[in-house]
Parts: sequence; C-alpha cells; structure tokens
Amino acid sequence: MSSFLQQLVLGLLLGGLYGLAAAGLSLVFGVLKVLNVAHGQLIMLGGYGAFWLFALRGLDPFASLAVVIPAALVAGVILYWALFGWVVRAPEETRVKNSLLVGFGLALALEAAAVRLFTADERSITTGYAGAVLSVGGLAVPVVRLASLALALLLIGGLHLALARWRWGRAIRATAEDWEAALLTGIDVRRAYLLAFALGTALAGAAGTLVSVGYSISPSIGLEWTLKALIVVVLAGLGSMLGTFVGGLVLGLAEAVSAAAFGGPYREVVGLVIFFVVLVARPRGLFVR
Amino acid sequence: MSGRRSRAVGLAAAIALAAVPLVVRRDDVLNFLFLVLLSVTLAESWNIVAGYAGQVNLGHAAFFGLGALTTRALWVAGAPVLAAMVAGAAVAVVFALLVGAAAFRLRGAYFAIGTLALGEILRITVGNVRAEISTLPAATIAGYRLAHRYYLALALAAVSVVVVAALGGSRLGLGMRAIREDEEAAEASGVGALRLKLLALSLSTALAGLAGGLFAYYHISYYPAHPFSPTWTFDSLLITFIGGVGTVHGPLLGAVFYVFLKEFLAIRWVDFHLLIFGALFVAIVLLLPGGLVEAAARLRALTRRPGQAC
Amino acid sequence: MLEVRAVEAAYGPFLALSGVTLTARPGEIVALLGPNGAGKTTLIRCITGLLRPRAGAIRWEGAPLAGVPAHAIVERGIAVVPEGRRLFGAMTVEENLELGAFAPRARARRTARLEYVYTIFPVLRERRRQVARALSGGQQQMVAIGRALMAGPTLLILDEPSLGLAPRIVESILDVLREINRSGVSILLVEQNVQAALTLSHRAYLLEAGRVAGEGSAAVLLEDPRVRRAYLGPLAP
Repeated sequence: MSSFLQQLVLGLLLGGLYGLAAAGLSLVFGVLKVLNVAHGQLIMLGGYGAFWLFALRGLDPFASLAVVIPAALVAGVILYWALFGWVVRAPEETRVKNSLLVGFGLALALEAAAVRLFTADERSITTGYAGAVLSVGGLAVPVVRLASLALALLLIGGLHLALARWRWGRAIRATAEDWEAALLTGIDVRRAYLLAFALGTALAGAAGTLVSVGYSISPSIGLEWTLKALIVVVLAGLGSMLGTFVGGLVLGLAEAVSAAAFGGPYREVVGLVIFFVVLVARPRGLFVR
Repeated sequence: MSGRRSRAVGLAAAIALAAVPLVVRRDDVLNFLFLVLLSVTLAESWNIVAGYAGQVNLGHAAFFGLGALTTRALWVAGAPVLAAMVAGAAVAVVFALLVGAAAFRLRGAYFAIGTLALGEILRITVGNVRAEISTLPAATIAGYRLAHRYYLALALAAVSVVVVAALGGSRLGLGMRAIREDEEAAEASGVGALRLKLLALSLSTALAGLAGGLFAYYHISYYPAHPFSPTWTFDSLLITFIGGVGTVHGPLLGAVFYVFLKEFLAIRWVDFHLLIFGALFVAIVLLLPGGLVEAAARLRALTRRPGQAC
Repeated sequence: MLEVRAVEAAYGPFLALSGVTLTARPGEIVALLGPNGAGKTTLIRCITGLLRPRAGAIRWEGAPLAGVPAHAIVERGIAVVPEGRRLFGAMTVEENLELGAFAPRARARRTARLEYVYTIFPVLRERRRQVARALSGGQQQMVAIGRALMAGPTLLILDEPSLGLAPRIVESILDVLREINRSGVSILLVEQNVQAALTLSHRAYLLEAGRVAGEGSAAVLLEDPRVRRAYLGPLAP
C-alpha cells in the first residue's frame, strides 16, 4: 500500500511539470488559435539550456531559470516573427491546420539540430543536493522534484496574475475571446499574439529546465512532452492557467494509478486513451464553451 | 505532363526498374531501391487520405505496423507469404474501420493529433506485449532471395501509384486548397461524406498494411514495435508534402528525393536529413503548398514560349 | 467630421456596397437605416478598418482613414459599439470597461471616464465585478456603450444597439445617447428600429442593396410615406 501511495506522490510531482508544459501550449492555442506541435522540442531545448549552463558554468539549475526564461522569451519572439506570425494571417480553420504542419517541420528540424549539436545521449543534471529526500509519513519525497513542483506552481500563479492585472495580460485574454472586438477596442492584436507566443515559449523553457534536473532529457523527448501537454489541454480545456495546472496533476495521478493497475509499461497508454476519448467526445474542438 | 505521356513514362520506368536485378548484381543497390519503393508505397497510400478525404492522418504507422505484425506471425507459422500479406492488409483495414468512424468525427488538426494518439497507443502496447526481437528461422534465412522482395516492392509501389492515379481525376488534383474546401463541404453533406472518407481510409490502410507485410517479409530481424514508430508516418508526411500533396507524381518525386538525400547525408551526418527536410517542409507549407510538383509546373510555365497551349 | 465618398466594398465576388456617400458633421446624430443585407454593417466595417473598400474614400477630421489599421481607429477618436455587442464575456464588467481605455489616447483620463460611465449607467457600478456574460441583454448593451465611451471618442458608432432589447430599455438607451451627444460626441447610428432611430437623430440615410436610396432630416423622413410604408409597416402611427 505504501508503495502505491509512493507512486501517487511521484505521479503528483511529475504532474506539476505536465501542467507547466501544458500551460504554454494552452496559452498559445487559446490566444493565437495556433497548435504549436513543436512545443515539446522547445521544452527539450530549455532543458539543454539548463544542462549546459550547469555542465559548463556550474550554474545551479533552479538559478538558471533566470537565464533560460528570458532566453526563451527572445526565442519565442524570433519564432513568431519568422514562422507563426505568418500562420496567424489565415482564418481560424486553416490556421490550426497550418500551424500543425509548420510546427511539425519545426519539431523535426529542432530535434535533428539537437542530435547534431548535443548527440543523442540522455542527459540529466545531478546537483550536490540531488539525492536529498524528505520523509513524510513513511513516504520518500525527492526534494528536487518537490522544489520543481513548487516552482511550477509559482510560475503558473505568476502567469495567472499577469493575465489578470497586467494591461497587456488583459489584452491577451480579450484577444483570445474575440480578436475583432479587441481590435475595435484599440488593442493591437498582432502585438498580443507576439506576447502570448513569447510567454508560451518561456513557459516551455522553464518546464524543460525543471525536467532536466528532476528527470532526464534527450533530443527525442519532444514528441512525448508535446503529447503530454496536448492531453492536459484536452482534459482541462482552455482558458484557465490554474485549471491547466490541476489537469496536469490529474494526468500525473492517472498515470500512477494505471502503472499500479496494469504495470509500468502501460503508464503512457492511459493518458493517450483518455485523450482520444475526450477528444472524440468534443468533436468540435476545444473552443466551444 | 499529359496523362498519356506520364503513363508511358511510368511504364518505361517500371520496366527499367524490373530489369535492375537482372543487370545489377549488387545487393546494396537493390536494398536502396527497395527502400525507395517502400517509401513510395507508404507515401502514396498516405496521400489518399490527405488528398481525397482531406485529413492529415498521423497514425499511418499503426497500419504499417499491424500489417507487419500479422504477416510476420502468419508467414513464420508456415502460411504462404502473399496470403499472410493479404491477411495483414485485412487486419489493418478492420482496425481502420473500427476507429475511423470515431476519428472522423474530428476535424482538421484534432483528427491529426487524435490519430497520432491512436498510433502511439498501438506502438506502446505492441512494444510491451511483443518486446523481444523477431528473427527469422535459420531455414528461412538460408532461402532468402532479395530479388523476390524487390519485385514485390516494385509491384506494390506500382499498384499504389495506379490506385492513386485512378482515384485522381479532379478530386486529388485540387491539392491543398481542396483539403480546406472539401472539409467544409463534407461537413455540410453529412453521412455521404463519412462513407467516402472511410472508403479512402480503407484503401489507404490496406496499402499501408501490405507495405507492412512487405517490411516483415524483407527484414531478417527487427523489433515488432519498430514499424509502429511514428517516424514512418512523419517520413510519409514529409515526402508527400515536399513532393506535392494531392498529386500522383508528388509522393513519387518526394520519395526518390528523400531517400536519396537521406542516404547521401547519412554517410557524413546521420539524421541530418531531418533538419533539411524539416526546414524544407516548413518553407513549402508557408510558401509553396504544391511542393516540388508545383515548383516544376511553374518552371515549365516560365520556360514555355508564349502562344503555346498549356 | 466623417466623410464617406463613393465607397465600394466586396466580399469576394459579392459586391456589398456600390458607391455609398454620406457625411456625419460634428455634434450630429446621423442614422443609417435599411433592411437586412443592405450593407450597413459592411459600411461600418469599412470605416473601422476591418474591411478594405475596393474603391472610394473615407476621411475623418480631414485625414484619410485608408490604410489605418483597425486598432488605430480608436486612437483617432472613433469608438464602436459593434453589432451583437461583442463583449469579452469571460471578463468582468469593470475589466471590459477598462479595456475600452486601452489605447494611449484614452489612458490618461481613464479614472474620470469610468466614473462618468458609472454615473450614466448606475446599474453597472453595482455589477462591476460580475462576469459580463452573466448580465442581461440591456445591461450588456450598457457595458458595450460604456466600453466605447472609455476611449473618449469624438465619434461614437453604434451598430444595431436596440437588437433584442425590450422597448423600455431601448428608450433608456436612447436617452443616454441623447445625453452623450449633448456632451459633444457625434453619433453614427445603424438601426433597424426606424422609429427609434428617427426620433433620436438629426439626419438619416436610407441604404438599400448597397447604395444610398434616400437621405434627409430625420423629421422629414419620419413623415415620408415611402419610409413609413417600407419600414414602419401597416400599423405605423
């Protein structure tokens, strides 16, 4: 029984990262109506950023967030200008499909570049305190993963606040609801798109950093993380960052339960099955309320 | 290129390819051409759903994998390989029809990610249930004839090209624009459209299943989950889009171009071809949706003398 | 002053406006009347930059509006209450109103204007923390008008403000519009409720099948038998 509870705890800790990964995708999808399937590769690159900062400069991964997040913001701006800024010129229907295709090509290119630059080896950041474990009622809670969960929650909370209070945060929310009305209200929708995309990329970078320290990264993890993010977005729906975070926790728990019930290897399957079933149950997509 | 001329060219190419094993004794050439032909089949079969039903199916590898799984099991158990391949195709089609009705409720990008999820579900499950490598018995290895596989690949590639050409007419020829337009028109016309889509899916998956059977016949040993890998789908996607989605020649051109470049680059940089193709893919989606076929047509239009008919 | 001269606009092959000319002078309330599909909303979309006209010119305060992006129209002093209100339903009343003052020109006097909006629509002050989509139709219309007023416009454009509203509420909205006009804001009103529109406005244009079929002072048009027959129906007073 305690082993099952232990699995649940680990699943919950991982779920926090699922939530963070999904938040970026959800923001971009909800505002720009663009499905960036290269999101997982952005997470992967964020992880490598943290890894190399640690390996070459000895920078603590949690501290490196202060470098990775701004870098990811800039990367997001560049990607928007170069690619997705063009995709948003199409009407919504074709926009989603085009973004899927563009994201696909981008994902392949980024993954291949990562293999070329970093080799296909699996990497992980092992800090001095990596082995530290908190003992709570007989359960072992790895400190690194707990800190990651806390940071993920902090980042999502920060995002929520920004969307609620910051002038451009509100503009982003308004654009997500009705971009024409937003235009008429005086909001430069293109700028809102750019900001949302940059923020989404920054969240991906942050998620990647946390993944590299608590777990491991390699160039091929992109697809897996994109799928996780998609599953959470479909589960939680669009519109609420906190809801997305909870959705991530739910997925983490569901995976833990399924691993306990059907065995470890089937852990991944439950999320995908839920995903497909929920998706088919709402065939009109995620925007209809 | 007019219909008559391209048929003549196709026939000539097929005859030339058929003559290769008689003229060239090198296995590596045959292996290379086999890969090209397999890619052609996979891409053309994928093209059917993309060009005709107007959907991006990211679960294509699942049918390839099911065909391989079934064929391998039956053939190794003693069944004649052709019968095993047909059985493989049948299994693929049955699965397609089972999930197709549900999947086709999804539109556009949702269909794409939904089918991707399905493909991954199968891959992981097969990977767990059949984790050990599948190797041919020694007697079979002793009797292995590469030329047989080669001719089968040629026949299958020819069949898939002919099927797509036959489906052709004006439907496929509309290309990317048709995918958008068809989707809305299909939504409006309801049930009839679903039946057509399922028909397209059946054809597509049958061919993919046959290709899977071919894969199982060709490889001496492989991991059963390998043909389920989404890489096969992504390759087909790249090939078809770069070549020109919704056309007959597109996947053909794309496959040749793709495999050649992949092999050429693999000498120095493994997987680097993906970087180039990924970038090329994005460029084509944004700038030249008709792919190489459209590029060729435009070039011809540029060099055509004024007054000449199209 | 708004000048629309010989504007033509099309959606693909379908010509929606074939040469519309009208003016709205400072301080005026101008009504734009006509049946469904006449092109009224199309004209508004042209003025606000959401649709580029195929031909003709639109000038505002002497300068051309062509090529001005839609989000910059507000900066020029034109605010719109769109057809169907188009509120940000998931956001609160106050958030909707504050977004109205998003443009730089409007930001400075934001607090004062919010006070003004709450003064002319007291019920909004009570409901300011409520989510916009939870409000009644009439209240939502108030939010939409308030949002537009937050921009401090010189010209207020309203597209079918009375749609779906009870007559009593329409009356109160007309009163508010009258008051807004008295404070110096010009109004361009697109309406199907001809009676209400002509009672409120100074001048009116009749739009039919993409062109101006008639124009004149509101009082005169109200008595015009053609107008009465076509728009006010057999039960007209």
